[in-house]
Amino acid sequence: MSIEQFKNRNISDDYYLVDIDDYPTTNLGKFTRVIKRTFKAELLVGLWVVMREMLKFNIHTVQYPKEKLPIGPRYRAVHEMKRLWESGTERCIGCGLCEKICISDCIRIDTRIDEESRKEVSEYSINLGRCIFCGYCAEVCPELAITHGGRYENASEQRAHFIMYDDMLTPMDMLKAGAQKEFEGFGAITPHEDESVKKTPLSY
Amino acid sequence: MSGMVDFKINGRDIQAQRGETILQAARREGIYIPTMCYISKTTPCASCRMCVVEVKGVDGFVLSCNTPAANGIEVSTDSHDLHVERTNIMRLYDVNHPLECGVCDKSGECDLQNKTLEFNVGTQDFSARDERRTIEHWGLINYDPALCILCEKCTHVCNEVIGDDAITIQFGGYSSKVIPKNSDTLDCTFCGECIAVCPVGALVSSDFQYKSNAWELNKIPATCAHCSAGCPLEYEVKHTSIDLADDTIYRVTNNFEFTSLCGAGRFGFDFDIKAEKDISAFSKATEALKNASAIRFTSMITNEEAWLLNRLKDKLGIKLFNEDARLFAEFMSAYSSVSGKKHYSADLSQLKRADGIIMIGSMIASDNPGVRYAMTTAAKHNGAKIIYAHPVEDALMQNVVTQFLKYEVATEEGVIVLLAKYILSRCEVDSKTNEYLENLDVGYLSAESNIGEDELELMMKSLSRTRNNILVVGIDVISHKRATNIAKLVALIEKYSNFSVLIVPKDVNTLGVSLICDLDKDKAVKNTVGYNADGDFIISSLPGHDLTIPALNQQEGTFTSIDKRVLATNPALSFGGYELNDIASVFGLGYRHTIDITKELPLDCGFKRVEFDELNNFLSELGEDVRGYKLTEIEINNPSDLQEIDDLPEFNGTIVYHVNPVLQFNSYTNLTKLLEKDTSLRGSAQFAIAARIKDGDNIEITLPNQVVLMRKFKEDASLKGMIALNPIFDMGHEIIKYRFQKSQIKRVNNE
Repeated sequence: MSIEQFKNRNISDDYYLVDIDDYPTTNLGKFTRVIKRTFKAELLVGLWVVMREMLKFNIHTVQYPKEKLPIGPRYRAVHEMKRLWESGTERCIGCGLCEKICISDCIRIDTRIDEESRKEVSEYSINLGRCIFCGYCAEVCPELAITHGGRYENASEQRAHFIMYDDMLTPMDMLKAGAQKEFEGFGAITPHEDESVKKTPLSY
Repeated sequence: MSGMVDFKINGRDIQAQRGETILQAARREGIYIPTMCYISKTTPCASCRMCVVEVKGVDGFVLSCNTPAANGIEVSTDSHDLHVERTNIMRLYDVNHPLECGVCDKSGECDLQNKTLEFNVGTQDFSARDERRTIEHWGLINYDPALCILCEKCTHVCNEVIGDDAITIQFGGYSSKVIPKNSDTLDCTFCGECIAVCPVGALVSSDFQYKSNAWELNKIPATCAHCSAGCPLEYEVKHTSIDLADDTIYRVTNNFEFTSLCGAGRFGFDFDIKAEKDISAFSKATEALKNASAIRFTSMITNEEAWLLNRLKDKLGIKLFNEDARLFAEFMSAYSSVSGKKHYSADLSQLKRADGIIMIGSMIASDNPGVRYAMTTAAKHNGAKIIYAHPVEDALMQNVVTQFLKYEVATEEGVIVLLAKYILSRCEVDSKTNEYLENLDVGYLSAESNIGEDELELMMKSLSRTRNNILVVGIDVISHKRATNIAKLVALIEKYSNFSVLIVPKDVNTLGVSLICDLDKDKAVKNTVGYNADGDFIISSLPGHDLTIPALNQQEGTFTSIDKRVLATNPALSFGGYELNDIASVFGLGYRHTIDITKELPLDCGFKRVEFDELNNFLSELGEDVRGYKLTEIEINNPSDLQEIDDLPEFNGTIVYHVNPVLQFNSYTNLTKLLEKDTSLRGSAQFAIAARIKDGDNIEITLPNQVVLMRKFKEDASLKGMIALNPIFDMGHEIIKYRFQKSQIKRVNNE
């Protein structure tokens, strides 16, 4: 790549420079601009675009919270606890690594040996008020049991809502329906992300 | 009666004491008035104005916290106008308050949070340009001015209850904040009381900050195990981590509305010890006890342990050594022989209400902060006259003390008899006592003790109008060579004058041990077993022992406090090893649980047949101490006569006073992580010149018993005279009876 090519930022022939007049400096110039803007009816141009799109039912507004945009798998929102696909049992083996690595001391885990002499998680809570969503817990988990989900709304009436293990655990019906989302790993990209990849104006 | 006032709150007839405020009366009657800055143990701060009420016929609102109830007034505590007023106050408090509740230490127990929800302040309607406010780090205490709501509780407590007077408000409108008084950084005794009373997270413990939310911690109600004040506290515990299933103490809190806690109680909580059942050490311990000639122990034990030790003594026919409790018991028995009562008469709540206090023989701020706080409360709230008699003028007590009586070292007997003479000169005494007091050589006593007659007359003048007088007797008197005679003189003062007597036990359970155990004079004998003390075989909860036993925050049991109250304490942390009850079981003296002993404690010493589980461990809603039970008073009929006053000894040269720095008490506080461990010898510039040492020197102190101590010398501008203060908390089990000692001080070469 030669230096000329490198410096050429016109990545497309469609690009053109917007014609912007210099800012008026004299009082007369300023007055003229006000008059021009007032009577040129630029407002109607914008209104027309809205009207046109409305009539065409080509509306891009996302009706949040009824509609939500898909969120990237890298996004670190409220944690999820996963189940094993085959048996439906909880993946968490109670190793406590997440508790240890947690830098804001918000994970609390307790285990016991159950009747079948298996280690069982008896208590698991994440104090989301303290959590800084750093993702260390998900990263350290050897069983891919704790991952970050996409639920990013953090408002509730009671703080107890933020720490319930059962809320984080994949419900059985969801698992049976095959709807448990697997963690795709760090560095995973958003679905169909490649389609929206465009050249940036700085192509090099 | 004229002392009562009748008035109405919300249409209800209320009777109040004259002088009682509307708020106090309302609280007593269970009528709710919201407050933000009110704290029961101080005078009203009157900074929040939340407690406004309406009084019929009075224009505008009235502050219920500082308005005394008057006859016939009709108060209403709840109306639309009042609600609007209070809501507006809450709105103002919430302006720019940082929204960090998720991690704020106070979240969950925050007054601001609670009241904001109560008044439903959901939006910020006012705005103010915020300022840059930096967080101050004051050692154990952190202060965040952005969170501060300037309620002034901290300054009031610091000044009126603790007596440090170390913080003040820097007024400046919106940029007002709490600042250290007369100093750049906080220079105080670090009691942490300001942390406790802070209604928001502005003043926090730097150790606890960001460790946990309040609701994640379990509260274990217990009694402080550091000194005899027996302050109620709550150990707040949480499990450590998954590989360490045991709990850890995260912090200590107290019922700050009514009680106070010193820094040792608040920050010195991690003196626990871990152990597993070590069978071989256990069998060695029982073997050692079988062969033992004596058990030596300290008073940092529960009543139940003391009782078991006494049973072991009877069973094995061995001796029990505990010099501290033995001296106390001897003092008390001499006292009883004159007063006719088993126990001394006063307690801390009486001390708080007193208006005339004479304190003798203790550096009270370090010996027993509970007594100090009670004295500060008395001085600031009742204007009590406080006479502080001690060879060392304690700069910490300056704000509180009316008159220092600086007597010569070891002349306590002379001082007390002079006090007795002057106090009893106003009272009617029997002829024998009268004769005794008349025959005193006042000139000699006064000259040798260095207490002038004019000083005593000034003291009597201060105390001429006081009605609730208390004589506080400290450790230096109890451990004095002539303690028995002093005790009789003290009892004499109590018997004939309106003085009550409060005797300050040294350690947490000195009083309990002295009542329960039948102690012998400590002699160097072979085959001793040390129980938390020195011995040939050591059973201890301190490092360097042969068998581990639980520390006092790992035990269930009771203490007998300075208030003559039997107080329950609960284990904050688990303990896996053996305890004394297990050892006693080997000798057939054991119980199923150690606390089964609580009801067995000797009745003839004032203990009651009360099960451990029936002992309360809380204060009532109005702050009355309903914990445990009070020892019953026992009549003693064993009269004895006063002895002639001995020649007063002379102490010249470099004198070392063995006293701990504030917040350090013993080997247990020495184990804790947060408390400062300054082991340097502190002395005045004058002392430095006399001993030919200077600030920062490494020195060697040779005590009369040939014990040699290595210390660093620190010059302390607040000290005067020829007495240097030597800490003993790091000296382990070293027994020092009378704490003033003539010593040789030598500079050693600095490496």
